[in-house]
Amino acid sequence: MTDLVAIIANGIVYGSIYGLVAIGMTLIYGTMRILDMSQGSMVMIGSYVGWWALAVHGVNPVLALLLAFVVAFIFGTATELVSVQPLLGRRNDVDFEMVTFITTFAVAILLTNVALQHYGPFQKNVPPIVHGNLELYNGVSITYHELTMAGLSVALMGALGLFLARTRWGFAIRAVAQDLDAARTLGVPVTRLYPVTMGLASALAGVGGVFLGALYFASPTAGDLPLLLALIVVVLGGLGSLSGTLYAAYLVGLMQAFCEVKIGTTWTLPILYGAILLILVVRPYGLRGTPSETRL
Amino acid sequence: MTGALSSLSAMRWAAIGVAVVIAAIFPLVYTDPYYMTIIVTAEIVLILNISWNFILGMAGVWNFGQLAIYALGAYGSGWLMLHQTWLPLWLAILAGGVCSAIVSVLLAFPTLRLFGIYTSLLTFSFAQVVQYVAVNDPRGLTGGSFGYPTVPPLFSTLDQEAYLRNYYWTCGAVALAACFAVAWLRQSHLGISLRSLRDAPAYAAARGVNPRVTRVVAFGLSGFLAGIAGALYLSFEQSFTTSQMGLTPMSIDVTMLVIGGLGTVTGPLVGTAVVTAIQTVLIDYPGWQLTILGAVLLVIVVFIPGGVIGLLARWNSRISAWVAEDTG
Repeated sequence: MTDLVAIIANGIVYGSIYGLVAIGMTLIYGTMRILDMSQGSMVMIGSYVGWWALAVHGVNPVLALLLAFVVAFIFGTATELVSVQPLLGRRNDVDFEMVTFITTFAVAILLTNVALQHYGPFQKNVPPIVHGNLELYNGVSITYHELTMAGLSVALMGALGLFLARTRWGFAIRAVAQDLDAARTLGVPVTRLYPVTMGLASALAGVGGVFLGALYFASPTAGDLPLLLALIVVVLGGLGSLSGTLYAAYLVGLMQAFCEVKIGTTWTLPILYGAILLILVVRPYGLRGTPSETRL
Repeated sequence: MTGALSSLSAMRWAAIGVAVVIAAIFPLVYTDPYYMTIIVTAEIVLILNISWNFILGMAGVWNFGQLAIYALGAYGSGWLMLHQTWLPLWLAILAGGVCSAIVSVLLAFPTLRLFGIYTSLLTFSFAQVVQYVAVNDPRGLTGGSFGYPTVPPLFSTLDQEAYLRNYYWTCGAVALAACFAVAWLRQSHLGISLRSLRDAPAYAAARGVNPRVTRVVAFGLSGFLAGIAGALYLSFEQSFTTSQMGLTPMSIDVTMLVIGGLGTVTGPLVGTAVVTAIQTVLIDYPGWQLTILGAVLLVIVVFIPGGVIGLLARWNSRISAWVAEDTG
């Protein structure tokens, strides 16, 4: 019973944060057919912003989160302008998915190493957003920081859903996801929409980075593990499927919590990747993915 | 010998011959151990890149698990070198290739139903699993992140100069053979099948190319070569750490392939040479190496999509068109 409570509580906490980081990747893939490898770097940038604001300057946590959102948004937009925008005109000449996979990967290498140059390899402690913890059951406790993280992640994902369902920009993003050429014909400004989409996704990852920074550390490679987990989540859910990403995020969170409680931390990633191998063999497009072009 | 090899003009053959002879004589003249070590390492990386280019560029299968295959070649041959000492070392290296080929073929099966990005994620997952298992290996077969235990080297009776020279020749010969094999395969039935499956999978399948068999064979060949490269690396460097299959070497190798030109025969050669040169020049600024390589990768992909070889080919055709215009 104690184990079960611990697994479920941790699983939901992990699942929420993975959902937040992975939903950006899904949004980008669903809209632009780009597997954005720089999302991990956005998490890294978010944790450095969190460290800079919270530990160095003692800023109000809400302000720190907002700052991370804005900074990551700017970086995400810049990444799109550098690594995707020049390729848009050549969509038909090059293998777009492959090439953008490589360019965003190049951006990730760049950002990681610039951070390494600037901040050095040492880990920086990021203070938690909220202190204290909540006793759940028989010695199982959960920190308020984790609780805030889960709550805010869910809230942000809900806000993203509303944004996509209700606003003009949301309509435009969904239209592009459904049919790029038709959306263009009807006047959707794709060259402006792409940077905004990527910026938005990166901003979510950046906010996730502030939370994750307090759980782990801020370091140049802080984005690697979130990126690997986000990859697992998006593949499991089916690339480009928002609902699939949510299911998969909680599934992965619960699986990770289960592994940590029952088997041991070192085996978590191999087991998750093993699960992916199996799922992809049975369902080549993930749990909720569709082979056709109808996504989001 | 058919196809690419016979289509080369006598001039080209002469040029290749001269280049090979110069490369073969080179270590007799030049003996600086520091740079020789870098060159031999580059040769080994070149073998790996040829194998990766074959599956990634020529077959168009997004295999991002090649470094794990490479590592398994090293571990497989290393086990033979340490524990089956009756076996000649060169046979152990060859066995490393066979071991990798088998794993690679096994990896090919789950990817058969996948396309594009999903293939890359599955193979990448595979590589991650291999790396984690190797790092956390409970029985000490891999040496974990501290590296593989020292294995007996080839040419152990020679002094350092001759030792390096012999490794240079061995690895160079393997790389050369791999280059020719790929050039020949490219024009062979298999190569044409692979390229047609890459460019128009449905049409190729409709014309009777079996996608499954072709892909499995391509994985096997590429895996064999990667395994040989891994075994040579272990034999030459006397160590193999799990960081050899991490993200950093992977990004360097991808940079090499993209700079040279994916899917071309000589691309890996050019890419490996250029990137190794950049790394060697920047050896005193280790932090800047990857920053600059990342920037170079970005610029090449965005502005020179075909890599250096593609650029040269375009210039070449432009010049010959210009000459033809002039004479005709």
